[in-house]
Amino acid sequence: MRKLIARVRNRWSDSDVRTDGGEVSAERSLLRRDSIRSAPFWLPPFLLVGLFVYGAVLWNFVLSLTDFQGLGAPDYSSLDFENYVIAFNGGTPTWSELTVDPVWNSLQNTIILMVVFAVVCLVLGLLLAILVDRNIRFEDTFRTIYLLPMSLSFVVTAKFWLYMYNPQTGLINAAIGLVGIGPVEIVQNPDLKLGAVAFALIWQFSGYAMIVYLAALRGIPTSHFEAARVDGASTVRMYWRVIIPQLRTATVSALVVITVFALKAFDFLFSMYGGYQPGPSADILATRMVREAYANQNWAYGSTIAVILFVMALFIVTPYIYTQYTRGEL
Amino acid sequence: MSGATSDESATTATSDETETRTALNRVVLYAVLVGMAVFYLIPIETGLMTAITDPGTYTGSTPYLPPLEPLVPGTGSFSLEPFGNAFDGLSRGLVNSVILVVPATILSGLLGSMAAYGLTNVDWRGQVGIYALFIAGIFIPYQAVLVPLTQFWYNVVPLRTMFVALTGIPFVQEYHWKLVALIITHTAYGIPICTLLFRAHYKKLSSEMIEAARLDGASVSTIYRRIVLPLSIPMFAVVFIYQFTQVWNDLLFALTIVQFGEASVVTQELVGIGVSQSGTNFPLRMAAAMLAAFPTLIVYILFGDKFAEGVTA
Amino acid sequence: MAELTLDTVTKVFNDGDSNEIVAVDGVDIDIDDGEFLVLVGPSGCGKSTTLRMIAGLETVTDGEIRLGNRLINNTPPADRNIAMVFQSYALYPHMTVRENMRFGLEESTDMADDEMTSIVEETAAMMGIEDLLDRKPSELSGGQQQRVALGRAIVRDPEAFLMDEPLSNLDAKLRATMRTELQRIQEDLSVTTVYVTHDQTEAMTMGDRIAVLNDGVLQQVGTPLECYHTPNNRFVAGFIGEPSMNFFDVTLSDDALTGERFSYPLPGDVRSSLGDATEFTLGVRPEDIEFHATKSSVGEHDFECVVDVVEPVGESNNIYLRFADDDGPDPDTFIVTISGMRNVSSGDRVVATIPPDAIHLFDDRDGRAVKNRSLSEVDAVAPT
Repeated sequence: MRKLIARVRNRWSDSDVRTDGGEVSAERSLLRRDSIRSAPFWLPPFLLVGLFVYGAVLWNFVLSLTDFQGLGAPDYSSLDFENYVIAFNGGTPTWSELTVDPVWNSLQNTIILMVVFAVVCLVLGLLLAILVDRNIRFEDTFRTIYLLPMSLSFVVTAKFWLYMYNPQTGLINAAIGLVGIGPVEIVQNPDLKLGAVAFALIWQFSGYAMIVYLAALRGIPTSHFEAARVDGASTVRMYWRVIIPQLRTATVSALVVITVFALKAFDFLFSMYGGYQPGPSADILATRMVREAYANQNWAYGSTIAVILFVMALFIVTPYIYTQYTRGEL
Repeated sequence: MSGATSDESATTATSDETETRTALNRVVLYAVLVGMAVFYLIPIETGLMTAITDPGTYTGSTPYLPPLEPLVPGTGSFSLEPFGNAFDGLSRGLVNSVILVVPATILSGLLGSMAAYGLTNVDWRGQVGIYALFIAGIFIPYQAVLVPLTQFWYNVVPLRTMFVALTGIPFVQEYHWKLVALIITHTAYGIPICTLLFRAHYKKLSSEMIEAARLDGASVSTIYRRIVLPLSIPMFAVVFIYQFTQVWNDLLFALTIVQFGEASVVTQELVGIGVSQSGTNFPLRMAAAMLAAFPTLIVYILFGDKFAEGVTA
Repeated sequence: MAELTLDTVTKVFNDGDSNEIVAVDGVDIDIDDGEFLVLVGPSGCGKSTTLRMIAGLETVTDGEIRLGNRLINNTPPADRNIAMVFQSYALYPHMTVRENMRFGLEESTDMADDEMTSIVEETAAMMGIEDLLDRKPSELSGGQQQRVALGRAIVRDPEAFLMDEPLSNLDAKLRATMRTELQRIQEDLSVTTVYVTHDQTEAMTMGDRIAVLNDGVLQQVGTPLECYHTPNNRFVAGFIGEPSMNFFDVTLSDDALTGERFSYPLPGDVRSSLGDATEFTLGVRPEDIEFHATKSSVGEHDFECVVDVVEPVGESNNIYLRFADDDGPDPDTFIVTISGMRNVSSGDRVVATIPPDAIHLFDDRDGRAVKNRSLSEVDAVAPT
């Protein structure tokens, strides 16, 4: 309640400005509203985002209901949910003579990749942050090094890791060769593909989680560390019981950004496999969608997979926005 | 800072024992830190060393060592030829990427800052809803808009025919229409995250200061121009670093909007480089990767700290 | 220069769930031209909201605000011709002191460049900050920033100054200096000033008149001494004065007030003025209680007490007394202020006299003062 009052109090003026004795016309009072006066600032970017993001999402949904395939223009006259049935059950759609596979396989791969990637990134990032937070020398250098892979394009990362995974010259094989295994084909090995992709992505983004956690650790007053120590907690217990519970906000904010990056994993797979065909064991929704639309020109079916991806994104974004809202941070 | 006290745990131990343990802890700590640094650096370092190896003498046996033949046999001999070839192969993409990334970064930064100001420092009803839409935009996967965007730029907007008319102007080529389409698309998709970053900064500006400016007679736009904008310069650095990296590194939008041809950006050109019938030319491929990574690597090495402070603030 | 009138000004905040919070409730104040009015009250009492409505930073839900007979309810803040000094000073951190002071002139007037320059320099000289003109706010001390904030307001040559706790960020010593300086400047410029504070000492020492607010309701407007000696109600009596007035819950029976530990006979004229109420709060200021180390005869207004705690302040001592028969572990105490030269120590048995002409009585039903202390001794300072 108090917070609400404060928020209302900060308001420059309510939008229902009353006119005073007819001196100011209703029209001028409307123009004086802060929503209108601030419109030149938020409206142009909002229109741009509205058109290209939300307009396109809606259009994409409509497209998913058509039979748009091959060259030419989409036909909006007969709309149905056939593509969704195909997406979940497979079969031969009316717009094709070929059988189309359902999306379950790529959906499963997407979820596995996302969860493994996010969890390992966060855990590794947290451990690194705890180490870097121990009054070390050259801290800035270590931080920069850990963050450096994040600056790379997925395309570049793919090139580097193709090289690292190479059975003949790659360092990964050289390393496991030291313990007497290998050489192993990694990139094209159906059992290892998805793991190889996740490993490279973790290499690229765990540094970001480290940065976020480090900032959060710095934000915890030294007295908390000291109090836990006076209470006789061991280092491990101190972090587990006192420090880590205070890192919820940092976890959420790191997770948000890491998820955004995971959504772009298409670029990585496309460059790793030199095209739209990573093969079934590494096929994720993102690659499947682009392949259906741009390689097979099954535009409507591609749009359908895109809608499924969008709904998955909603599962992440809705709780995030809601918690931000309830905590008054919107 | 905060972990400073944590090494003196065993209160019963004598000071000598404690000292030994502390020293040992530090050694282990630094060993782990350096090990992790090697983990993060070695793919980049290996790439760089391979990129300066003469393809003729490249063996691939020790790709992480600098090419020191004839001093160290088997490492190949030093050559800048891969970089030269990579530059020839990527030059068109590099130019197009620069044409793309500069306006897209500046536009999304500026528009994001304006949106954040209009939704933060001017208070009005309903702005939370508008802002929520901006934030949700960060999470929307590109795939969800690709087909409509392709339709939009190829079949709805006559950008191409407009550019046919503009080709009389020096340096303007017909294929530039694709880059303009890409600039606008990247700007629209960059605005949400830029708005988020700026808003975090603007919420911390003193509301009394903004009120003082209002009482001083400044209008909403004057407050932005004379107060808020000058105070956002550090944040612009952060936003520009982020957005520059995002746009420079993107492949998917380029793949679906540019598709192929003269307007291809550097990430597109990079995908196919160094592969031929006769096998993979690793030095050329690594040189190309290094070249494409160079701008963003430099930005991170120079401004990574600022960026880290900005995104975590 | 103008008088400022608040006519039944009300502010209702709506928290969006159709809950209405009345922050300011029908406040009426007439502030004379050139007057220094202090709005005082505990935090959350609506004093800042009132000030912000005058500034135009909040809309007025109901009532009228007039500046020099001009209705300004819907005038944008910039057109009201007022200047405000904020608690945080609100200086523009990226501008020099000179640019800070010029900003308002540039935005609200069409003055020529050299005219602005000379006004800024004159004002800076008057404030003693001419050497700071080319510095940034971050290079200034708190006191210097305070001066710049004041200078920035003065430069505007407004019809009214609004000040929102401008001294609260300064250390105690500087605050006292700035208090006098601010008063001097206000007197020199004779600009109508509304000054918001939660500090009753500031209110007492600075204001021509003070307006006491509580829970959005105006409790009393008057000179500092009026509010001190003839408070309208129990709230004002308790809020103004340091240490606070002593209060005792009493019941009227026959001709005496009966409290938990004592009985206090009332003179006939006071008794007859009380009407039919029976539950009262008896109030008496610490300095009005007479204090005797020993007393040969104990009268009806004398009470035997024991010294609980002695708080030396220097020029005076605050003595916490408990009634002699109250020897529990957590006794109720009341405060007596005596000269700092008198030597008293904890545990002393003493006699306290509460003189009948010094007592205040507040009706418990509404807290209103039904009897204030007699002003025969303070005629010299009380208003006519």
